[in-house]
Amino acid sequence: MMNEPTPPVLTNIPSQFDYKDTVELQRYLNSQGRLYSAKRTGLKTRRQRELKRAVKYARFLALLPYTAR
Amino acid sequence: MAINMNEHLHTYQAMFLLDNGEVREQGFNAAREWVKSTLEKHGATVQVLRLWAERPLAYPIQGRNRATYVHGWFTATQGTISAAKREMYLLGPVFRLLVLREDEIPAEELAFGIEEVRDADVEIPEDVAEVDSFFAEQPVDADEAEGTAADGEAKAGESSKATADAAAPAETAPAADATTTTEASAPAATPKD
Repeated sequence: MMNEPTPPVLTNIPSQFDYKDTVELQRYLNSQGRLYSAKRTGLKTRRQRELKRAVKYARFLALLPYTAR
Repeated sequence: MAINMNEHLHTYQAMFLLDNGEVREQGFNAAREWVKSTLEKHGATVQVLRLWAERPLAYPIQGRNRATYVHGWFTATQGTISAAKREMYLLGPVFRLLVLREDEIPAEELAFGIEEVRDADVEIPEDVAEVDSFFAEQPVDADEAEGTAADGEAKAGESSKATADAAAPAETAPAADATTTTEASAPAATPKD
């Protein structure tokens, strides 16, 4: 039997992810600083990849932590 | 006929992290002028270069806890970028930078230009290590725990993954500067589309 898909938790998703907008990006990270899965964000593959890239740029510039306790 | 992409002009956006000590010493305008002249020396045409923020770093970098962020837009060839990057990492106040290729400069960004900032207006607080405040305001609620469980199930198909996730140590600490730079340089150098 197939599992029922989990409805996306996040709403009001912007049309483009900006690595400088840390407040927005933090919505997609858990308390440890890990990116939520596409299943949870409800984003399509391409958008999830854009989000991942924005988070990685933000981490490199020390705008977001790689990990948080 | 092969096209030499190194001679092709492209639009780039860049973020420079300036060392606060040097910015305090020589002034913000002098530090920014150094960045601009370095880019121009290698053949780039700088269109926007502005103070984006002075803020604490999410993790310490070479003993620094704060940095001055300068955001810029310019047109250059790919060869220019690598030469300018090399020089910036060796000399001057820039200790980290990210260059991304873009299609065009947005109108709202172009409006900034190379805006005048008085050195006195750029306040640089003391470089004091701060407590990890990220996600502090984000309580770990039941919903989040549930989400982690769902993610874990999706990946491993194990119901016990959620607890394993919670118990597992945090991700590895940020990579050393050199490694991170190489990693981040790779996507920056590749074409966007």
